[in-house]
Amino acid sequence: MKPFIFLISLCFSIVVQASELLSAKQLLQNMATAVHQRNFDASFVVMKEKGMEPYRWLHAQHQNQELELLSLLNGAGLEIVRVDDKVTYFEPQSTPYSIKTDTIAGPIPEVLFKDIAVLEQDYDFVLGGKGRIAGRPAQLVRLESKDSGKYNYWLWIDTESSLLLKAAYVNQVGELLEQLQLTHISVTPEPAQQLVELLNREFPEPTLVSENVISPQSQSNWQIDWLPQGFTLLKADRHKLDLNNELADYYLFSDGLVEFSVFVQRPLAGKRPSGALSSGATTVYVHNSGAFDVSVVGKIPPQTAKSIAESVKRAL
Amino acid sequence: MAQANKAENEQVSTSEIFDGERILDDASLSQLDSEKFSRYAMIGDALRAKSDNAITIDITASVAAALADEPCHNVKGIEEVAHQPAQSNVVSISSWKKPFSQIAIAASVALVAVLGVNTMQQTPVVGDDLPVLQSIPVAGGVAPVSFSSEGSALQSAQQGVRELQQQRIGALVLEHQRQSRMAHALHQAKTEKVEENKESN
Repeated sequence: MKPFIFLISLCFSIVVQASELLSAKQLLQNMATAVHQRNFDASFVVMKEKGMEPYRWLHAQHQNQELELLSLLNGAGLEIVRVDDKVTYFEPQSTPYSIKTDTIAGPIPEVLFKDIAVLEQDYDFVLGGKGRIAGRPAQLVRLESKDSGKYNYWLWIDTESSLLLKAAYVNQVGELLEQLQLTHISVTPEPAQQLVELLNREFPEPTLVSENVISPQSQSNWQIDWLPQGFTLLKADRHKLDLNNELADYYLFSDGLVEFSVFVQRPLAGKRPSGALSSGATTVYVHNSGAFDVSVVGKIPPQTAKSIAESVKRAL
Repeated sequence: MAQANKAENEQVSTSEIFDGERILDDASLSQLDSEKFSRYAMIGDALRAKSDNAITIDITASVAAALADEPCHNVKGIEEVAHQPAQSNVVSISSWKKPFSQIAIAASVALVAVLGVNTMQQTPVVGDDLPVLQSIPVAGGVAPVSFSSEGSALQSAQQGVRELQQQRIGALVLEHQRQSRMAHALHQAKTEKVEENKESN
């Protein structure tokens, strides 16, 4: 009898373990589905060490169309509107423009609303503890980077509605660098009127994300010798920056969760030391290599940004 | 001793004049301490709760005296403030900073960082991750630079560079933010393409 009980309990523990392993990923997938299917009106804040940005986030499923509105409530503001697969960005001081894509690029990484499986190669999905966030029971899911030169991303998911309650970029020693916290959410059966009215509005035609965004010429200008694990080149070209009209050779890399940009520019006059600035999880590393300046911007640790910037060489 | 006597005498006569116990003539006026007189008047007003006029306490003299005793930290800097009227915001900031520059032992990068904060906050094109850049200890061996003494020409040249660098950092952060909006679509297109290639092979 005893061995039999032992066997049963062994089986049971294996099953439990397996189900736990499944559920970290399953929870993330449930969240992605919930975010697309539910009608909700949420408010959240993004907290960095020294700043706080409040947002309002509305989503609705209406007549087989998805409607979404994300607005930054402080300062001059930023409004992002999505009608199905057309996302329009309204910013102060520039004309609104649309992109043909089905997720809003806001403070929440877009991949979390899509197929999370693409991250499995570079991140481990770990189930954490349970807690209470924004007055709701929450389950922690950690995306732990397999490369120690990247940040981890932690999410707290509503165990009832599967919606995101809190998220944070966390460094390798477990400090929360940038947090996103829901302050209020209401899930309604009917879509919000504000969103339904979006259908009567005209939006600019989307600019196509052309397939050939990696121009061979600019790719051959510079050689980036070192990249953290999992990052691939998405875009490479030469263009003028909007704000100061400076010409830059531009490279965009992504690992599916975070992106970083590499800019190679003509050096500014005068002797300037290289150095890093950071705000929340975003790092700006400016490297002065004499004949040219390399800047790296993205949600990566300063040390990683430094290594990337210093590995840029003139192609032979 | 004589002086103390005189002071005491003045105080008594001022009080007498104020109370109307002494006739106001040249002799008594010469003994009047006008400062004390006004203070007595004010005390009287306050006691009688005559608050029509708010009590004005003149501290200018004492502030001036205290300032005169204060050691001057950087006379050169102060003179420059006086001579150069602020032409632009940046110039005024830099001249304002100079008196402190001997105390401030700042790594040049940290300064760029702090000034960078200002530029970015002023830029109205602030999006979600274009926020308060906060200075952190520099990753990597950057020698600290002290802006203490010589070469205001050098300093103004550096100021120009710094300004350009702030502008550039602002532009880079904004550009990164804009470009990364396309990243997900690009990433998706790319993985789809890779899968297509796999299938066709």
